[in-house]
Amino acid sequence: MKILILSGIPFAIIAIGAHFSKAGAKDFVDLDDLLEMDELLDDDGTEVREGSAAIADPLKVLNQAIFEFNDAAYKNIFQPFTRQYVRVIPKEARKGIGNFFNNLEYPARLTGSLLQFRFGRASRETGNFFINTTAGMAGFMNAAQEFEALQPPKEDIGQAFGAWGFKHGFYFVLPFLGPTSLRDFVGRIGGNYVEPISEPSTQVDSSTDRLILTAVETVNDIPEIIDIYNSITGPALDPYTAVRDGYAQLRAVQVAE
Amino acid sequence: MNSFSLRSLFAILLLTVALLPNLRSNDLVNTKDALESTLNRLLDVLHANHSAAPYSVKKDRIIGILDQQFSFDVIIQRSLGRNWSKLNDSQKNQVYTLITDLILQSYTQELQDGPRPELSFYKPKVITSSKIEIESIVLLAESKINISYRLANIKDRGWQVYDILVEGISMVSNYRKQFDEHFLKKSASDLIDLLKTKLQGA
Repeated sequence: MKILILSGIPFAIIAIGAHFSKAGAKDFVDLDDLLEMDELLDDDGTEVREGSAAIADPLKVLNQAIFEFNDAAYKNIFQPFTRQYVRVIPKEARKGIGNFFNNLEYPARLTGSLLQFRFGRASRETGNFFINTTAGMAGFMNAAQEFEALQPPKEDIGQAFGAWGFKHGFYFVLPFLGPTSLRDFVGRIGGNYVEPISEPSTQVDSSTDRLILTAVETVNDIPEIIDIYNSITGPALDPYTAVRDGYAQLRAVQVAE
Repeated sequence: MNSFSLRSLFAILLLTVALLPNLRSNDLVNTKDALESTLNRLLDVLHANHSAAPYSVKKDRIIGILDQQFSFDVIIQRSLGRNWSKLNDSQKNQVYTLITDLILQSYTQELQDGPRPELSFYKPKVITSSKIEIESIVLLAESKINISYRLANIKDRGWQVYDILVEGISMVSNYRKQFDEHFLKKSASDLIDLLKTKLQGA
């Protein structure tokens, strides 16, 4: 009998150890707790406050005017254009063009990773760029998507500023381009600075060619931008506030990643 | 206690300790499977016979499917937050119905356009002892969207969705900002008028 009990002890220790090590690693908690409805309806729950990333909007009157202008442009120019573009250009071709320009944004993503001292992500970005540029035929094919280890979250310089502790400063809306903040706008300028199409690091000699490339990139991005815009504004009561808060939440998630 | 009962007791204890995490993890997997099944049944209705019937025609079936796992009353009350108390009972009922219609009409339209989207779900993540998050990817014709569902284990209801995050943007927080902005200058009856106008134009 004693032998039986004693022989069981190591298994019990292993089982208990496994149970608590899992709990420790995953912060496993007792899931049998049931919430009373009142607890969930707590009107100023911290979860909602945390979700609502704050962004100051001192230029609200001007921003709203530009937002209305953009809204009219999206609905009356970009949306009809998108329908035709999607109809005429095959999906695979649009995807290839998107991949090509996405690959060219590697220097900005790399800079964003390095500024946050995320060397692992920087090396994954580099691996992704190398494979897409070679096996992916100059980036038109996303050959690196086959390798899960080479899919780092997208970084940019605005995110790096956020990770350093810089707040947004204030919110503003750019004509045609949409929402940004002082912090992210400065980051965007920094991104353009290291990218190979825009000045001053351009690898394209002719200014006409640069203009054409930028136009192709912008036009190819429009369908996706319109989709996202419609998803946010469609069910919104107040589209301006919905987009501003959506932007602030999205950037907060990206910085936190 | 004889040796047999001691051995049995020990074996039961050992088994319980070893299986406890699995039982909990099975509960989570079942919740995830139930959510996946609910959303696939929603897509079945939206893409039945390739019909593009409007939301109003399919409304009852859509709400019937989602009601089992989505607590819209919780989603809407949390979205209104402190503004909920500014509504009388009749206004609360109207706002509840109108916002549910607005949300479902907009989102089901997106899921209905184009070919049937593909859904894939990840393993649930524990937020607190009574809240979990289930991440998913929706593959639409033109884009891939990350959608996370936050579920709470509500007394007498079980695991219920109380917030939806699209690309990390919380629907409840986003609506809360809009309602806060609205009630700074406008009233509950203005809100009802606005919702009616939105629904007519949607």
